[in-house]
Amino acid sequence: MNVIVCVKQIPDPALPGALDPATNTLKRDGKLILDESDSYGVEMALQLVDAAGGGEVSLVSMAPNGEVSGMRTALAMGAARGVLVSDPALQGSDALTTAKVLAAAVRRLGGADLVIAATESSDGYTGTVPEQMAELLGLPSVTFAKKVAVEGTSVKVQRQTEEGYDEVTCTLPALLSVTAGVVEPRYPSFKGIMAAKSKPIDEVKAADLGISPVGWAGAGQQIASVTQAEARAAGEIIEDDGEGFTKIVAYLENLKVI
Amino acid sequence: MDFRETDEIGLLREAVAGIAGKYGHSYYVQQSRAKEPTTALWDELSAGGFMGVNLPEAFGGGGGGMTELAVVCEEVAAVGCPMLLMLVSPAICGSIIAKFGTTEQQQRWLPGLSAGRKMVFAITEPDAGSNSHSISTTATRHGGGYRINGQKYYISGVDEADAVLVVTRTGIDERTGRGQMSLFVVDTDAPGLTKETIDMQILEPEKQFTVYFDNVEVGPDRLLGVEGEGLRPLFAGLNPERILTAAIVNGIARYALDKAADYARERNVWGVPIGAHQGLAHPLAKAKVDVELARLMTARACWEYDNDLDAAESSNMAKLAATDASLAALDQAIQIHGGNGMTTDYGLATLWGMTRLLRIAPVSREMILNFVSQHSLGLPRSY
Repeated sequence: MNVIVCVKQIPDPALPGALDPATNTLKRDGKLILDESDSYGVEMALQLVDAAGGGEVSLVSMAPNGEVSGMRTALAMGAARGVLVSDPALQGSDALTTAKVLAAAVRRLGGADLVIAATESSDGYTGTVPEQMAELLGLPSVTFAKKVAVEGTSVKVQRQTEEGYDEVTCTLPALLSVTAGVVEPRYPSFKGIMAAKSKPIDEVKAADLGISPVGWAGAGQQIASVTQAEARAAGEIIEDDGEGFTKIVAYLENLKVI
Repeated sequence: MDFRETDEIGLLREAVAGIAGKYGHSYYVQQSRAKEPTTALWDELSAGGFMGVNLPEAFGGGGGGMTELAVVCEEVAAVGCPMLLMLVSPAICGSIIAKFGTTEQQQRWLPGLSAGRKMVFAITEPDAGSNSHSISTTATRHGGGYRINGQKYYISGVDEADAVLVVTRTGIDERTGRGQMSLFVVDTDAPGLTKETIDMQILEPEKQFTVYFDNVEVGPDRLLGVEGEGLRPLFAGLNPERILTAAIVNGIARYALDKAADYARERNVWGVPIGAHQGLAHPLAKAKVDVELARLMTARACWEYDNDLDAAESSNMAKLAATDASLAALDQAIQIHGGNGMTTDYGLATLWGMTRLLRIAPVSREMILNFVSQHSLGLPRSY
């Protein structure tokens, strides 16, 4: 069983982010790391391949400056290979162009039984790329997967809903977007870390994939302006004199959340 | 010259810090109070192959060097879980066996050490602390093997280990009057080997022991290297011991500096964070400088050791610089925390005993200064 995981390499969320004032896009010129929300997909893919008793996990990623640091983390965890699409022409690409590029990268790998992506990235949050990819690849798509099991030629998915979960069965090949926290991503072993540097990453440009136009030219959106998020108002401190809970309950009732 | 760490070292730091971070300092305190080893953390690190990073791949190790092992030690200590036995088991014992063991001996012990089995090290004696030439534990030929008699003390973790690497005297050099040393691997459950815990004023998960050897018999296959020429294999273990001591205290120092800086940024007494006061900021900044200098020398010692260069000077200097810097950083971190610095909750004073110990052991500050005086400066030998 072969699984391809979409991995986004993002600026370290622990460091203060910055916008490029000329383009209103996130500055991504420093070292990038594996988006934590993708580490769940990588872990799930590794577990599914293990359970199937054979196969490989491959990666597709789109990042500036030939950045592979985040991909190396996933390779150290156990993925076998990757395709990186890195091209200055891609700057300004919107979600749909990203989906076109990643779908083409999936095809370049020869497709797979399963393509896994996170529900949304931690730096862009459009949450639309996986479904766009599924459409472009002509695959059935199941979103918000919280539990995944492959049985023969189909995949059984518990799909997270507001009330609980749906049980969805879907034929393979398919594309899943997985939620965070469904599996515990492994820490790479020392052998995994040392092996990662010699695992192949195929670096290509948008033109190699036949995708055009890309970047600002291909974007169906424009970022007109950016405003600061509203500062959070100061909270209310309730001193607990033994009856503090009544004030909290009243507060929550007032918000109509209970 | 390139001071950037490789991607692999970066990933190694992340992985070890991630695993150890799940346990954290509270786990260290809890195990130490219960006088229980930090087994769960040790085992999880072993499962990831991190305990044997420096050992040869042919025997199940990671095929890395002291650089990688020092990173593991530092990262584990940097979350407040210094692991003394890492400098004993994979570093001293592993290095000696990897360099001086026969293929049979390597096959016998290295796969276990790589997988996290423990071997401890016994050199110090009541009457021969830093003067290892005058050790009195003897190994005498008996049958086809040897009989060991004597006493060792301050031996860490004997209760956790399968075996102990013992430094013995097998003869006296008649020209110099010095002992001729031989190294043996002795099973900790060998008949005639007994141990007694030493009550220490240190919060540590490992126990310290006095170990008695009373006619302990070992076969000739337990001798490491050549009889009477144990000094060479011994020295192969001592530089790693110094380097990893430095790595551990560098980790403790980072832990203390992080806590101190966090506290100084947030603690607000007279309208500004206390870190705005130079009386607190400057000593902490100075501590940071000294810690980073010590880490630099530690990295150099690792590099020299891994490249088969003479690492004695850098290992000794790193050990001294790192223990001094770490103790100063921890002291300033406690000072910045005021009374909180001495509580269990803030997790600083809990590391004082261990950090202070490492200024004495495994080689004292004074012996390092003797070494530097004599070998780096060409001064007359003072002892």
